Amino acid sequence: MSLEEKTADRTSSPRASGVPSAVSTMLIYLRSMGIFALIWYAGAWWIGNPVLLPSPVAVVQSLFSLIASGEVASNAASSLQRLAMGFAGAALIGIPLGLLMGMSRILYALVDPLIELLRPISGIAWIPLGMFILGVGETLPTAIMFYGAFFPIVINTLIGVRSVDERLIQAAKVLGVGRSSIILNVVLPASLPNILVGLRLGAGAAWTAMVAAELIGAPSGLGFAVEWYRELLMTPSVLAFVFLIGLFGYLFDKLLRALQTAITPWANISREVI
Amino acid sequence: METVAIPTKAKISLIAITKQYITPRTGQTTLAVSDVSLNIQQGEFLCIVGPSGCGKSTILSMIAGLTKPSSGTISMDGNAIHGPGRERGVVFQDYALFPWKTVRENIEFGPRFRDRAPLSTAARRELVDHYIELVSLNGSEDKYPHELSGGMRQRCAFARALANEPDVLLMDEPFAALDAQTRLILQEELLRIWGEELPRDKRKTVVFITHGIDEAVFLADRVAVMSNHPGQIKMEKPIGLPRPRNEGVRLTTDFQKLVDEIWQLIRHDAYEATIGKAGIKQA
Amino acid sequence: MALSRRFLPFVLPLALLILWQAGVSTLQPGPRTPTPGSVVSTAWSLISTGQLPLAMILSLGRVLTGFVSAAVCAILIGFLMAVSPSIGRNLDPLMESFRPIAPIALLPLAILWFGTGTSAAAFIVGYAAFFPILINTIQGVRSIDPSLPRAARTLGVGLPAIIRNVILPGALPNIFVGARLGLGLAWSSIIAAELAVGAKTGDAGSGGIGQMMFVFYAYSVDLSGIIVCMIAVGVVALVIDRGLRAVEKRLLPWKQ
Ligand SMILES: Nc1ncnc2c1ncn2[C@@H]1O[C@H](COP(=O)(O)OP(=O)(O)OP(=O)(O)O)[C@@H](O)[C@H]1O
Ligand SMILES: [Mg+2]
Repeated sequence: MSLEEKTADRTSSPRASGVPSAVSTMLIYLRSMGIFALIWYAGAWWIGNPVLLPSPVAVVQSLFSLIASGEVASNAASSLQRLAMGFAGAALIGIPLGLLMGMSRILYALVDPLIELLRPISGIAWIPLGMFILGVGETLPTAIMFYGAFFPIVINTLIGVRSVDERLIQAAKVLGVGRSSIILNVVLPASLPNILVGLRLGAGAAWTAMVAAELIGAPSGLGFAVEWYRELLMTPSVLAFVFLIGLFGYLFDKLLRALQTAITPWANISREVI
Repeated sequence: METVAIPTKAKISLIAITKQYITPRTGQTTLAVSDVSLNIQQGEFLCIVGPSGCGKSTILSMIAGLTKPSSGTISMDGNAIHGPGRERGVVFQDYALFPWKTVRENIEFGPRFRDRAPLSTAARRELVDHYIELVSLNGSEDKYPHELSGGMRQRCAFARALANEPDVLLMDEPFAALDAQTRLILQEELLRIWGEELPRDKRKTVVFITHGIDEAVFLADRVAVMSNHPGQIKMEKPIGLPRPRNEGVRLTTDFQKLVDEIWQLIRHDAYEATIGKAGIKQA
Repeated sequence: MALSRRFLPFVLPLALLILWQAGVSTLQPGPRTPTPGSVVSTAWSLISTGQLPLAMILSLGRVLTGFVSAAVCAILIGFLMAVSPSIGRNLDPLMESFRPIAPIALLPLAILWFGTGTSAAAFIVGYAAFFPILINTIQGVRSIDPSLPRAARTLGVGLPAIIRNVILPGALPNIFVGARLGLGLAWSSIIAAELAVGAKTGDAGSGGIGQMMFVFYAYSVDLSGIIVCMIAVGVVALVIDRGLRAVEKRLLPWKQ
């Protein structure tokens, strides 16, 4: 009961007091990041070695020149394209598989051991074998991302189906609703919040795996660019690409969060654990 | 499945029902309901009262078709009950509203998705509007359950069961989670919606479980009193109070007498269920 | 029916194994093609010569160094951020800005700063473990029912005792969740770090299971060896996860 009250509060308050608090969070954000930049600047000046620690100004400059030269666009495009393919593939296979496993004991008994066997082997550990089978190129990062995203998606979908309140299924049954309608109108919406959590976790895992895969086994992409510029000892460019990796990771998560609140307005997911 | 015709005039009849639960983990068996026979007439409002754990919910869930009796038969209109069906609507204690559906979508769930004879969009709209009106939820049609008060959720659950147009309404402590004032108001509402003035054959048959003896006496045509260990029906008490009933009935001596009589019957069991045998001796 | 249910879990893994063996024996097997048999014999030789255990100990040592320092920092900072709203508000932007950066992206920087030895790997591991523990610590402290410390204060209990007996136990379940996530991430990051270091330095690197895999890949082209390493990585991940769960059960008996 108290949980529901809290969320009710949360949905109603932003409209009332949202504007000033948004401005003040923004100010606090700017202040904190400003102080951080100052410390960074002072540290760079103190160390005096732009290869080890370039000043924030140099990083911003190189970021702009990388954007101007189109290098950012091309590397980001190839990373994001891989992310889209690997992630979409994992979602398209993982969600239906999780739903089916949740509803059929036989399928669960059949598939679960394989998942439990493979899951502890992280996507990154597949990189050497993958490089051997797939070669250095486009397929390897995509495959590793698929693998990384797949398990969180399947498992959270399964958890979602498992945690559907038995009373709701009974309530549908006593209204005379049949099995397929129950799956579509009760089981699926009830597990949707968990599915979305799985998607977000999967996206995070895929993004991390992608950077590792590109660092070692791809001829393009953001991870590749970081390593490329490190070999050239152009640290400002390294940091610029590190910043971009963080930015895209953040934006993708933000997008999925927005999706979460848009399509599950009833869900009060108050406990978010990364 | 063949349907066994049972010669009886009762709307719902339970014959020698026993229910034993087996806990798979320990293999332990619990005798929840033992040899219960009960007839419920068309249009009758039956209340079941009894101490906690005596098997009230189990009986209701067997009538609903969600649980199978270990032995005995339950029939409706002479046909044995094999599973849940739209002719028996259920209002759950915790309401079991679909959190991802609005009030309107919850109420139209049965008419829209049920297997047999789902309604067209237009017919559904009219029907749902009617029930929203009936339970006074106008203006809240598009809210989600978590945006409703407890009483509104209760009315929504009630409307959802009614909108499926069942013959029989099964209610498991529907007012238990509400505050005392709301409960009093909803009791009168329930009688109004049930249709106290209607002739018996036009009314719905209601089986209503409650812990409140005064609630049972206020609502019921008949109160079945259950006892514990094993769950059995101890007594069936007809309530002859005139209808339509309103707040005033509670002040009459007849009402007080009935409440007291039932309380004396279950008092011992209730103490035992709550504080154990040792507690009774001390008290 | 019940008997066939018993066997269901083994069907797919066995089928894959048989498929693997059958595929190897029908298609002409090159001398380097791994078979179930060659994987087992490679595993035996890697273990009996002590190569695999040694690499494992090196990697685990790095993970432990990085993880423990990250856990100490994350729990302390998390506590401060959750207990004091002003610290929380001011540090939050920094944490939220650094959190989305994939740890492995910092590896080139770590190599620049610390070279290709243990400290670079430990830095990456620590970075990977830091954020899950931090976020969950904050979450854990904030999720404590505020009436509990208030109740303790009405009983005349002082602040240090409240922190030790009310806040810490209340936040511990979440801290454990964070630690489990963090350690899992740390373990997969160490593989990535060592792989990448291996890719830069080849044979001459500082060892560890990841580098061993890279050497198998790039130098001796030993696929069976790679598969043995993958299985070993999986087993360690599983042991870490189950071990922490067991510790959690012992330490938090009130969480059934
Ligand atoms: N699924 C189950 N498995 C095992 N035992 C059960 C199960 N459901 C109910 N019981 C047992 O059956 C008995 C009757 O339970 P029931 O829920 O019908 O009681 P009740 O009269 O509704 O109680 P209350 O008034 O507290 O709701 C209890 O002893 C209970 O422990
Ligand atoms: Mg009950």
